[in-house]
Amino acid sequence: MASRASSKGKGKAARGSNEQSTARSVKKWSTWAMKKAKVITHYGFIPLIIIIGMNSEPKPQLSQLLSPV
Amino acid sequence: MGSSVGHAAAPPPPPPPVGLAVALPPKVEEKSEKKVDYLNLPCPVPFEENQREALMSLKPELFEGLRFDFTKGLNQKFSLSHSVFMGSMEVPSPSSGTIKVPTAHYEFGANFLDPKLMLIGRVLTDGRLNARVKYDLTDNLTLKITAQITNEPHFSQGMFNFDYKGKDFRAQYQMGNNAFYGANYIQSVTPHLSLGSEVFWLGHQRKSGIGFAARYNTDKMVATAQVASAGIVALSYVQKVSEKVSLASDFMYNHMTRDVTSSFGYDYILRQCRLRGKLDSNGCVAAFLEERLNMGVNFILSAEIDHRKKDYKFGFGVTVGE
Repeated sequence: MASRASSKGKGKAARGSNEQSTARSVKKWSTWAMKKAKVITHYGFIPLIIIIGMNSEPKPQLSQLLSPV
Repeated sequence: MGSSVGHAAAPPPPPPPVGLAVALPPKVEEKSEKKVDYLNLPCPVPFEENQREALMSLKPELFEGLRFDFTKGLNQKFSLSHSVFMGSMEVPSPSSGTIKVPTAHYEFGANFLDPKLMLIGRVLTDGRLNARVKYDLTDNLTLKITAQITNEPHFSQGMFNFDYKGKDFRAQYQMGNNAFYGANYIQSVTPHLSLGSEVFWLGHQRKSGIGFAARYNTDKMVATAQVASAGIVALSYVQKVSEKVSLASDFMYNHMTRDVTSSFGYDYILRQCRLRGKLDSNGCVAAFLEERLNMGVNFILSAEIDHRKKDYKFGFGVTVGE
């Protein structure tokens, strides 16, 4: 899809190419951001819940977190 | 009891009941026809839960193998759950429908439940994460996020929902991956009847669809109907026969595959157990029993026989904790 967009840009006048490149870079950055967000969520969601839970009232003990009783 | 001048005297009290009138129960006053106040209708059930009574009775979570769930509450709002499953799971295969794959996994989960914020996360041994977030932005507006993240690329799914609850209507806007956009709206039309519709757009496949739903419920029964432009008609009817027993039936027609399925089921909610069973037009008979052995300990039995495919599934398990 990126190559089709770039060939269309070359076919039209040069004024179109500026908008094409900003659209392409926005898409590249948003894809990069979504990939990083996916990795962060994958590793960090459960620790986030545990941190929020351990800080809620009444505060549970750390031993309660690890022991099965 | 000061009565002003000009007030007519109160009518004399009725004579005390005599004879047979003492033995029979007193005649209940017929409830006068209450005029329907169309400006004060109740809020309808959310669009995706339109058929929830029928789904609860007819589609219990049948499984095959051993299941052990342990939920440990650390405090009122926060709990951890450990779950072990050993058995076969049905995996859709391109060649012959579904195949049974023996699987075993351990799932660790953490739940945080607050009136305003709910976070549920479950992670499996193969690295898959199921996450659900529900946050009340205001009294009427709720944000829900559901995500399933896997280690393999391009298999993850996520969905954002914005729900708005009005006085007698609900509206929802959905955004998902693969450029999925959807919206639905449901409105109470009379105190018993609510009508709704939904539209969705799938970006990557350039497909769009529209669907309509209707739900009629009284204290004793719920009847729903759903039609979708993908060619699916689904009807369901649930009757609450008594406090402990409800019967449900369901009919689904798929125009694209010319598939018709109808099922009939029962749901017994007794003091110590809950028994659900269903009989299908595909030749499937299933039953699901949850028995409360002790405070917090539940024993689960699940059985399904598919007479047409000669497929037998039996599962048993124990659930400890709430």
